[in-house]
Amino acid sequence: MVELRVNCQLYEVEPFGRRLLAVLRDDLELLGAKLACGEGACGACAVLLDGRPVNACLLLAEAASGHEIVTIEGLSAGRAASVQEAFVAEDAVQCGFCTPGQIVSATALLERVPHPTREEIHEAMAGNICRCGTYTKIERAILRAAGAA
Amino acid sequence: MTARFVRTRKEMEGRYEDVWVLVDEEDDVETWPHDAELDLVGKPAPRLDGTVRASGRAQFTVDVRLPGMLTAAVLRSPVAHGNVRSLDIDAALATPGVRAVIGPESVLSLTRSTPLLVAEPQYAGQPLAVVAADTSEAALAGVRALALELDVLPHVVDAREAVNEHRFTGDPADDSRGDAEAALAASEVTIELSVDTPAQLQVPLEPHAAVASWDGDSLTAWVSTQGMFSARDELAAAFGLRKDDIRVLTAFVGGGFGAKQGAGFEALAAAELARMTGRPVRLVNDRHAEMLDGGRRAATHQTVRLGAGRDGILTAIEAEAVVAMGQGGWVFPVLNPARTLYRCADVGALTFPAKTNLRAQNAFRAPGVMEGTAVFEQAIDELALALDLDPLELRRRNHVDVDQVSGLPYSSKQLLACYDRAAELAGWDRREELRAPQADGLLRGLGCATQIWWGGGGPPSHATVRLDSDGHAVVVTGIQDIGTGTLTGAQIVAAEELGLPLRHVRVVGGDTGPNVYGPVAGGSQTTPSVMPAVRSAAAKVRKTLLQLAGDVFEIAASDLEISNGRIRSHDGAIDADVTEVTGKLGSATIDGSGSRGPNPDGFVVNTFGCQIAQVAVDPGLGEVRVERLVAVHDVGRIVNPLTASSQIEGGVLQGLAFALTEELVIDPTTGVPVNGHLDDYKVPSIADVPEIVIDYPNLPDVNLPNVGSKGLGEPPIVPTAAAIANAFAHATGRRPAALPLTRARVLETLA
Repeated sequence: MVELRVNCQLYEVEPFGRRLLAVLRDDLELLGAKLACGEGACGACAVLLDGRPVNACLLLAEAASGHEIVTIEGLSAGRAASVQEAFVAEDAVQCGFCTPGQIVSATALLERVPHPTREEIHEAMAGNICRCGTYTKIERAILRAAGAA
Repeated sequence: MTARFVRTRKEMEGRYEDVWVLVDEEDDVETWPHDAELDLVGKPAPRLDGTVRASGRAQFTVDVRLPGMLTAAVLRSPVAHGNVRSLDIDAALATPGVRAVIGPESVLSLTRSTPLLVAEPQYAGQPLAVVAADTSEAALAGVRALALELDVLPHVVDAREAVNEHRFTGDPADDSRGDAEAALAASEVTIELSVDTPAQLQVPLEPHAAVASWDGDSLTAWVSTQGMFSARDELAAAFGLRKDDIRVLTAFVGGGFGAKQGAGFEALAAAELARMTGRPVRLVNDRHAEMLDGGRRAATHQTVRLGAGRDGILTAIEAEAVVAMGQGGWVFPVLNPARTLYRCADVGALTFPAKTNLRAQNAFRAPGVMEGTAVFEQAIDELALALDLDPLELRRRNHVDVDQVSGLPYSSKQLLACYDRAAELAGWDRREELRAPQADGLLRGLGCATQIWWGGGGPPSHATVRLDSDGHAVVVTGIQDIGTGTLTGAQIVAAEELGLPLRHVRVVGGDTGPNVYGPVAGGSQTTPSVMPAVRSAAAKVRKTLLQLAGDVFEIAASDLEISNGRIRSHDGAIDADVTEVTGKLGSATIDGSGSRGPNPDGFVVNTFGCQIAQVAVDPGLGEVRVERLVAVHDVGRIVNPLTASSQIEGGVLQGLAFALTEELVIDPTTGVPVNGHLDDYKVPSIADVPEIVIDYPNLPDVNLPNVGSKGLGEPPIVPTAAAIANAFAHATGRRPAALPLTRARVLETLA
């Protein structure tokens, strides 16, 4: 058993060599982070590890022990709320499957860089694939949230 | 309701069938005129489920969790063609946690029909066996315990080789008219162009997925599908049940792009394993399985020969396409652009559906027409070059107002306006200045392409509207909103007709339970099919509401109007909240149902558009960047400009990727795809996006029922790749013989 600190709550989990994403989704039923590629290539599984976005589909659950994990479910207030509102207002959401990961990455960016340039947005968000192609609006939503923050 | 049956033509991705449809003669609302003052239609509105989608609370099929639910894993063929020698089902069943296994010998419960699995796989990734277990880890252990052994058989993955060996999925199609060969020989100017187009994968981020749960002989299935009613009907047929015994739920779908039709293998297998075990079963493809067996746009080899007079008038078109079909599927209309885009009496059109050892190709956003346009519109640019004529001017000179196949007029066509607007937005008149040597050493060019697609929709499609005493309405539709925003479109249309604020209108979709039928989310048909049904249903409620208001205010209903939740008399004497009338309903409701009327006789319904791309080519690195893309599409009336622009941006980006990076590469020696993962099959990221400039003529098609909108899902992907390839040719003076324009291909072309 290892201890995981997720969204400010402590959980005892049996990792069985699994990835963090499997433990979050299958054991803790935190279903916001998605398994889309399982290869660390799309960012749909992004969660925050000590404030930095990581691909939970690659990280071993055991390696996340001792760190502060925040999922989309734990990102409800403050800056994340303004990011979510901006995503909705700009229609940076189509099917919505990648959206939790996009919001996690965008929130982490704005925590680090409150007023990012377009280039900084592209750099920070390039690991989050949106197959529906909402990128133009994701960029606009992040700029909007930066203005509101 | 005054019901009658009528015979009408129904179109889906270019295929027509005559069907009987039930028509309610009270569904006779007239189309809003183009200058109607509308409160909501045509104004940007955020999608009604945006907050749920942005909060991580949207429940996709992969998120369904049920008590006692088992997880299934699939054993797939590792070879392109083989014969299973041994499969140890007993060992799999003996694996801890494994509850059931199906293999090539298995038949479906109840009907003992429809073998799901095969012993002689015809493509890499074809399912051979499925294991259901307590956990996904146990299911995977069960798959390993099957200890598959198979004999490898010869394969064909090269479409030209298949044609030489006469391996076809069906007869080659000859859609010619006139005498193209003679016309070509007599033409003053001729050109010939051959281009290969890539196999492109849909890559929905939510893979194909299903969860099945039985209660006696009733089945509930959550399916990640674009067609919940076709999923329901397929499940009913497979298990010998009545449609009403099956409920398909598809509230949120993580993308489809054409790949998710009907129940799919996943729902059938999950339902069978759930039947066998008496427990709910979920089956979700992993990414590699999705990329091998989720579907694809077929690769093609195309050749186009054009003849024209010196005046630029087309005199002959000869087009051939070899389509790498894989194991089958519809032969999509690759040569439709050649047959319909421009006026020409002598057209040769031959399509060869080559049978190869790949999964059956399936729909991917504008299937056939997109890859056909990608080549034909490059040939048109080659002709412009040969004639020394402006490419847009050449297209204008060959413009048509009647469908070149049927001879019927188009119900509406604003293509010339699209050309003018796109040229203006793209700075087309400065096209040659762009080619001057630049300080950054990049070669720049502008290229255009024309778009044609269907998108008129049609019956059957239904909706109901129920207004309660709070003055709130619920609209029940058969929509599955796969990210298109069509539920929000229905909200806008219903609220407009009812005269209610948007927030007082709720829309239900994604559930076959109410049995309110809607079409599959494909063929750009949801908006033109469903919105008229929604408006008809709302119109009946509005009529009843105004009658009741007339009773309450003691005035003729015809003297009243309603908008934004207030009922007013024309003379201004009455101005009351709608609840002053609905409040008297108590527990009663005002109900209306509406149906999509038939399509107009004597017209062909299509969408049109023009895109212009500006590219910058790095001749040293072979990198092509699209800097700006202008997209102007005529799709009738725009219901919601906010979600419409999202559709355009998404389509353009998938077209851009087809032109520049996306290609499923197959090892000819083994017949196995070598880049079936997201880290080696390059889909665009945020850093690949050009500036996308969007406009529409935005004029309703008055020949379509009551809303005047056409579909928008597919049109924007159609011309993008051709526009980019034409811009590349303009910038460099070279035209590669194949797409995508990868760095290696660009450097070879420029060498």
